[in-house]
Amino acid sequence: MDDVISGAYVFTGERSARSYALNKMANSLSSPENRKRFQADEAGYMRGLGCSDTQIYLVLRRDWRGMMEQGASIYLLLKIGAAVGVPLPEIGAHTAGRTLAEHNARRGQL
Amino acid sequence: MATVIGGIGTSHAPTIGVAWDRGQQKEPMWAPLFDGYVPARQWLDEMRPDLFLIVYNDHVNQFFFDNYPTFALGVGAVHAQADEGWGKRPLPDLPGDPDFAWHLARSLVNDEFDPTICQEMSLDHGVLSFLPLLTDTDWKVPVVPLAVNVIQHPIPTPRRLFRLGTALRRAIESYPKDRRIVVFGTGGLTHQLHGKNFGIKNAAWDNEFMDRLETEPAALSELSTQDYMERGGTEGVEMIMWLAMRGALGGNVKRVHRNYTAPLTTGYGLLVLET
Repeated sequence: MDDVISGAYVFTGERSARSYALNKMANSLSSPENRKRFQADEAGYMRGLGCSDTQIYLVLRRDWRGMMEQGASIYLLLKIGAAVGVPLPEIGAHTAGRTLAEHNARRGQL
Repeated sequence: MATVIGGIGTSHAPTIGVAWDRGQQKEPMWAPLFDGYVPARQWLDEMRPDLFLIVYNDHVNQFFFDNYPTFALGVGAVHAQADEGWGKRPLPDLPGDPDFAWHLARSLVNDEFDPTICQEMSLDHGVLSFLPLLTDTDWKVPVVPLAVNVIQHPIPTPRRLFRLGTALRRAIESYPKDRRIVVFGTGGLTHQLHGKNFGIKNAAWDNEFMDRLETEPAALSELSTQDYMERGGTEGVEMIMWLAMRGALGGNVKRVHRNYTAPLTTGYGLLVLET
């Protein structure tokens, strides 16, 4: 199977292993208590869960495309998005290299 | 003896749950979706099912990648709702059916399908987004959920899902109690949630898939995982779970109802088949 299909990274076991700390941090945001702790100090919370400096930097910059390049799962990015108030269309558009406005302008043709 | 009285293929999506909770059923964008479920709900009311067997996928809400099962069967008496990151929806926990579920576990293992057995398995929008569109939310009909890994590759092949369906049928028909069971295949249809094709859908393929699921499901199950992702997106591969539903129905089926609408990033399909 190809590694990139339909213009997107296939979430393989290798990607899952590479992004494990970031995905695990995002998974912890399924509890309201953890969402509050994360919102209060994103970098400190992530550091405490073993995320790398690069992963912390990408989250602080809301660099969803960069997170995907690190091997993250889109479903875990949605949990980070839920905690910081960024919805799927904005995350998805960013991974495509577009702004939300550019994405919405294209939507009629999709 | 238990029987398969029919099957339902349905998309699942968080947005369906959000729109439902906000009461947007009659809004122009959503009415084609919600109105499309009304005939399916009427059919269910007439068919008086005793049990829903739902083949679905978890979206990293119950399971994380520390332990990610290829197949997982919920055998508990109650299935809690997972918090997907937005907080829980105002819905009660779902009743399970441990007696049938343990029978299903034994039958599947005997048939060389080996699910992870879960006495606690919280459910996400993979089940809870569409279910309120089909039944009252006091959940009178118990649910036995069967989760499939369609997220972390390698994932089971389309053919494996179709064969899983035939094993589900054997399990149902060997259950000694009288039960009228509807088998669900959920997910899809086409959607691509990231990468340069974010937001792309393929209505032609969605409709071809629903056509052929009725008439030639074995041929559909011979397509590769990559074929499904090329046509329907890396997340659209969820639609292979409909093959399990179809496999459980056996040879000839009667189409009761079908609906398709795609207002956002996902092709929303609905197909009701009777055995």
